[in-house]
Amino acid sequence: MTELNNSFSINSEKFGKNNVINILGRNWALIFLIFMLILFSFLGKNFFTLNNFNNIVLGVSSLLLLASGEAFVIISGGIDLSIGFVMGFVCVTTAIIMRDLNAAGYSPFISILTGSLVGLLLGLIPGMVNGFLVAKLRVPPFIATLGMWGITNGLAWRLCEGFPIGFIPLQVRDIGNAYIAYFSPKKGFSFFVKPELTERKDILSLLKIIPIPILLITLILVIFAFILSRTKFGQHTYVIGGKVDAARRAGINVPLHLIKIYIISSFFAATAGVLLVFKLNMGVHTQYTSSYELFAIAAVVIGGASLTGGKGTVWGTVIGVLLIGILDNGLMMMGLPIFYRYIATGCILIIAVLIDQFFPELVYKE
Amino acid sequence: MKKFIITLLLICLGLSFIAMAGVAKQLKFAFMPGIADPFYFTMEKGAKAKAAELGVELIVGEYPKAWGPEYQVPILKALVARGDIDLLFTAPTSVEALIPVLKEISDSGIPVITVDTYIGDGDYTKPSNYNFPLAFIGTDNFLGGEVVAGQLALLLGGKGKVFLENTNPDVSSVMGRELGFRAGLKIFPDMELVGVEYCLDIQETAVAQVGAALQKNPDLAGVFGVNVFSAQGAYQAVVSAGLGGAVKIATWDATETLIEALKRKELNLILAQMPAEIGSLAVEWGFKHLTEGAEIPKKVIPGFFVFTQENVNDPEAQQYIYK
Amino acid sequence: MINYHKPKKIGISILRRWTLIFLLGEILFFGLVGTNYISLNNLQDILVASTTVLLLATGETFVIITGGIDLSVGFMVGFSSVICAKVMVNLETAGFSQVAAISIGVLAALLLGLIPGFINGFLVAKLRVPSFIATFGMYGIAYGFAEIICNNIPVHNLPSSLGTLGHGYLFYWLPGKIFSFLNKPGNLTRDELKHLIVIIPNVVVITFIFIAIFAFILAKTKFGQHTYAIGGNINAAERAGVNVKTHLIKVYMISSFFASLAGVMYVLQYITGRAPAGSARLLDAITAVVIGGASLYGGKGTIIGTVIGALIISVLEIGLVNLSIPTYNLYIAVACILIFAVLIDQFSPELIQKEEEI
Repeated sequence: MTELNNSFSINSEKFGKNNVINILGRNWALIFLIFMLILFSFLGKNFFTLNNFNNIVLGVSSLLLLASGEAFVIISGGIDLSIGFVMGFVCVTTAIIMRDLNAAGYSPFISILTGSLVGLLLGLIPGMVNGFLVAKLRVPPFIATLGMWGITNGLAWRLCEGFPIGFIPLQVRDIGNAYIAYFSPKKGFSFFVKPELTERKDILSLLKIIPIPILLITLILVIFAFILSRTKFGQHTYVIGGKVDAARRAGINVPLHLIKIYIISSFFAATAGVLLVFKLNMGVHTQYTSSYELFAIAAVVIGGASLTGGKGTVWGTVIGVLLIGILDNGLMMMGLPIFYRYIATGCILIIAVLIDQFFPELVYKE
Repeated sequence: MKKFIITLLLICLGLSFIAMAGVAKQLKFAFMPGIADPFYFTMEKGAKAKAAELGVELIVGEYPKAWGPEYQVPILKALVARGDIDLLFTAPTSVEALIPVLKEISDSGIPVITVDTYIGDGDYTKPSNYNFPLAFIGTDNFLGGEVVAGQLALLLGGKGKVFLENTNPDVSSVMGRELGFRAGLKIFPDMELVGVEYCLDIQETAVAQVGAALQKNPDLAGVFGVNVFSAQGAYQAVVSAGLGGAVKIATWDATETLIEALKRKELNLILAQMPAEIGSLAVEWGFKHLTEGAEIPKKVIPGFFVFTQENVNDPEAQQYIYK
Repeated sequence: MINYHKPKKIGISILRRWTLIFLLGEILFFGLVGTNYISLNNLQDILVASTTVLLLATGETFVIITGGIDLSVGFMVGFSSVICAKVMVNLETAGFSQVAAISIGVLAALLLGLIPGFINGFLVAKLRVPSFIATFGMYGIAYGFAEIICNNIPVHNLPSSLGTLGHGYLFYWLPGKIFSFLNKPGNLTRDELKHLIVIIPNVVVITFIFIAIFAFILAKTKFGQHTYAIGGNINAAERAGVNVKTHLIKVYMISSFFASLAGVMYVLQYITGRAPAGSARLLDAITAVVIGGASLYGGKGTIIGTVIGALIISVLEIGLVNLSIPTYNLYIAVACILIFAVLIDQFSPELIQKEEEI
């Protein structure tokens, strides 16, 4: 990609890091997000409720994981198209193992644990293959991951024959839909265990605080954000993405590092796959039309990365994902029909990125 | 290296001749499905079973990645270009665009049967440019939508707010269901359709959309999920909101996962089409037409079976589950 | 350092292309192992089936060479097919002749189709929006507009003579009896219809004419050279006097022009306009460009390479359908073979290096 965009980092160094405009500029995405939240609270019906926010975050939970894994790959200067189907492959495999172990008489706990672990491990294989193809055989990342895209899709489909996998222990869904704490006006606080409520209005006024899957995702994201921003591994990733030759001269084992990067991406996709089983209580393969990879890459780019590599953060990616999720939900709560939402989302995303372009201008003029 | 390649090519050549010679006498039918969906997979299974019974070879075209003539027609033409197909049955993904294509196939001597969807208006008896297919064997989606509306109304006592979770506005079959549902609701003035959303066959999206609908309308009484993915997403969202059982859910297409949910009383209604039956009939009528010259009815509608919480465990009902 | 792509003698460059050899190998393989694969009808059907991807990939080549990407082309096909169809239907109902309605419909779609391209280019060049986001936004916008215009229903009742152009061939030959140009012989008996040989579909002709024109532009004109220059090193291109911003806008307009053309071809072939038309072809288009030798970083790629890349994909897919491979195995087979194809590239570096040295 050309270097048309973003000489922002240079400007902020020139004009002082703590200038208000600079702070605004660096965090424009977050500010934009808050602005959207406020806007939709007024325009949408029942937008600003805990339940709705839970729905939004749960709705983008897969995308959060997929996009964060993709961020690593894009920062290193590559691209990973296979994440959507790796997720589907792992989802199907995990579900099948859970179902079959349960049917064979093993306790739900063992079935669930084994299924999740095996699914997660199997999901690392596409990453290893991708990394090997890109790093050792010099296949362009687009083609290598496109290949894995097709292979995991085909395999997932073969395994499930196109049908959703059911008969999974119900505990899976209980975990997937559990929250850390509940508060009901009728029954008070309760931790981890959902209070028994029968009246509809009681059910509706139940406050559900922090979904367990989101807690898990946050934990993983915090760990990997730390890895990316504060460890040598993270630094090396940025260097490889920025200038590969400099990385080599600095003694970094580029091929090995790239393999690890693609394994990380695959790991995130696998985690998303396992989490999907918990969310849906069934195994489903990814639909061709879902374009998860497209949205993941978009979120990473909105979050500040460049497709040429060398830039981007996990935090930025998270904001990018939340932006997409809030936009879709907010516009839905406003009652906007689906195709008007596509237009609105397209325009708003472009505007969001445009705002980023204006900040260096403001700084420069001063 | 060169010798190896030449030997390999010669072996391939030899094998292909043997393969062709071996099946030269068998009738070959081709099935071109509409899209990758459990409904069509079940149809394929029904067709394959009948074909095996009758000694017919069934060739199945690639399941298109998306719904539309531009995906279906190239595969269709590729199948026909083989030159050894005796009969074709397909689910046309466009009522107009497929007419010239299928006509060309029919004119070249291959009889055509349309399954699940039709070309033109589905009436092949009257003179028109689309009356060449042997038959239309399928579901009346509009009628099905009306049936679901009626059943949902019964469950809700004739009043309440309902939501429709649809899948893809470009697919004629599910849009037929939506139209039928809307028409069926009109008879009940106290029922209100508060919204329609499209999840594009993505279950997660359906969960998010129905979840949002429940948020917007806290007094939502019923949901209709129009195909496998929208239905599964719909009941998931309702259960996650803690409203399983309180909100009545009607679904379409009886996969085992939905039947399971019905048994757990998280769903109220499943309308099962008869895809295996449709596939089987297509093969059977095609066979009879080619071998005996039998006259086939131009329209065959096997109908539906409605699963409810009451009849889900009945032994006679089990055959209608998609598996 | 400016990286110009010097024109080469066509003969040598074709022979050096492993992609072409791979393509021919594929056709030969399926010819041997498949049923009637190498037949006039089947090969022509493959070309017709490839038209959308060929057109999209050609436009995309220009964008990718400049180091950008255009994600909107998939839904642009649908957008332009809907506009084209709607205009045709409305004009015909208003009393215009079929020829007039069709021509104006086509022109309207092609002209209006330039607007999204202009917007994309403007966003990328003047407002410095990353091309991924700009075209991703346009993808949603085009789709939304298309569905709203046609109200989710495929446009129908198009002028009936569209079929003669869209399904027509250049030559019709009934051995021993008729040989006609552009006109399908009427009043043929069923038996005669079976033996009718049809040669060169019209849509393929139209497609290749446009591709050839723009291949020439890319390879042999200053415009093409500037495109490569921008992709190679944008600052150097500016210093050399290239008006980068205007050039980029033109490049994105070329891309959306080809997408609109694909939409028009869609209407010709399927006698309808649908909003989601061609949306799943985006990935195939970009794959074709990459297989054809382009890099997503920009600076490399040729139209011929793209064409071969697009044909490699469709020959493969139709071949596997011919072998009636079950769909899930088909996906795996296509994936493996594509990787294999690119691997061959890695293991024959001599051929490629000589190309780059020139």
